[in-house]
Amino acid sequence: MTLPQFTPLAASLFSLLAIGSLLLAFVMLGSRWLRDYMYAFGLQSWLIALLSAAMGHYAQVPELYVIALLTALFRGLLLPYLILRILRRLGVDRELRLKIQPATTLVMGAAAVVLALAVSYRIAGAMGNPSSVVVLALTVMLSMKLIGFLMLAVRHEAISQILGLLILENGIFLGSQVLVPGMPLLIELVILFDLLVAVACFGVLARYLVEHAGTTSSLELRRLVG
Amino acid sequence: MSIRDLALQTGQVVSVLALSPLLQGFILRYEERVQRARGPSLLQPYRDLWKLFHKELVVPEGASMIHFCAPVVAFTAMLIVPLLIPVLTNYPLPLSDMGDILGGGLILTLGSFFITLAGLDSGSAYGGIGSSRSVMITILAEPTLILVLVGIALLAKAMLPFVVNHLLVHEPAVYWSPAHVFLVCAFFILLLVETDRLPIHSSTHIEVYMIEEARILDYSGPLLGLLKWAGMMKQLILYTIFCNVLVLPWALSIHGTALGALGAATALLGKFALVACLVIVVETAQSRLRFYRYQEPLAASFLLAALAVIANQIR
Repeated sequence: MTLPQFTPLAASLFSLLAIGSLLLAFVMLGSRWLRDYMYAFGLQSWLIALLSAAMGHYAQVPELYVIALLTALFRGLLLPYLILRILRRLGVDRELRLKIQPATTLVMGAAAVVLALAVSYRIAGAMGNPSSVVVLALTVMLSMKLIGFLMLAVRHEAISQILGLLILENGIFLGSQVLVPGMPLLIELVILFDLLVAVACFGVLARYLVEHAGTTSSLELRRLVG
Repeated sequence: MSIRDLALQTGQVVSVLALSPLLQGFILRYEERVQRARGPSLLQPYRDLWKLFHKELVVPEGASMIHFCAPVVAFTAMLIVPLLIPVLTNYPLPLSDMGDILGGGLILTLGSFFITLAGLDSGSAYGGIGSSRSVMITILAEPTLILVLVGIALLAKAMLPFVVNHLLVHEPAVYWSPAHVFLVCAFFILLLVETDRLPIHSSTHIEVYMIEEARILDYSGPLLGLLKWAGMMKQLILYTIFCNVLVLPWALSIHGTALGALGAATALLGKFALVACLVIVVETAQSRLRFYRYQEPLAASFLLAALAVIANQIR
């Protein structure tokens, strides 16, 4: 596997964008308001789209411009719009019963980042000491995955769970942009439509939850109903 | 030590002394302006100090030596710190090697510690409340502060503020690196917490949640004036560290000429105005947090500092 080489300016630009999206993942982790999650997610998608476009410019892969455009439109506009619509219909605006306070979750997230750093150093060692951008991308990817899992584990609203899933996916996408910039366009398209289907399914599921259980919190789902 | 160095060193202290009420006045005035009120005059803090220094001194019953020592210690501590940090010049002056960043932090905390003692001294209920609350915030803020300082030390491989300043001026790649950006954000939250701003405190005098004001409620006259002035100087010192060491390390006197020092002082005004505008935006947009949610901004700040240390490892 050949890893891309970048100029210092490009490297610092990529680091800044990657770190920015990690920070937005923390905004989602630390906030109680579902609407804030939404905006942070949209902004994160725009940052990743910028990263794709910059990568397309520096690594001379024109396909990436298309991917950047699709990312911005789908993840940055369409998905947030759909989820906002679900939010408005459901009439929930915040996490009510938090098992773990946001401050504690933030510190747990910081621990997750340290773990991700340790792991990506090992991976980077196995890859033959690549540039620091690659290590950073690996770290951000792994820590966004861990944060996504953390959100899935500690949040109970149906909407926060799908957002946890979306952060997880964004993390993998970001990592793939830096690690393998020439990923075929077709795969990207498939992933984007998968996401769309996932959000649509979650919308249906959430409405089903409201109708049958009278709540959108997964805490209430204790009984298996045939 | 040449005459010029002496003059510059004195100039650093004098400019902190003289400009600190102006900064306070700027923030108070324009915060009101943003909220569509008229706001007090820019010079109001100077008039307040003048008034306090001409009032008679009333000492509560049961006050001990601490009551008289504390304002003097706090004020002196704030006079010492400007010797250690780049206020006007970007090179160390003769007395600047008395302490590094941690030393400056120690002296700042010493002043705050004596005010806490003074709050407890007279045994009044309000002083006790204010002292215990401020100690709780210190417990929350101190680990973050240390972590930020560690981050700065790792960034520049040195604990001296002048080295950090030079590094940031000469290497744009470091200035724009994620580690530095994180440190700036973490320090900004600390700045809000330590200078008595929302989302943590409220400086209003008649508040149930008051913290800084409660500690000094027993004081009156010149001693109160000293304490208020020390508080404003602490704010200015923290702003100076934020601007001249971390965010805007430019526009400092390089050769130490009179013109350069004057220009640096003028530039300082502009930098403070920028940061103060940011603080005003935060104060207007944020409402105060409940007491038991104080750890949230500080946890965010801690997280940012931890991320800065990590990002610095990758750099």
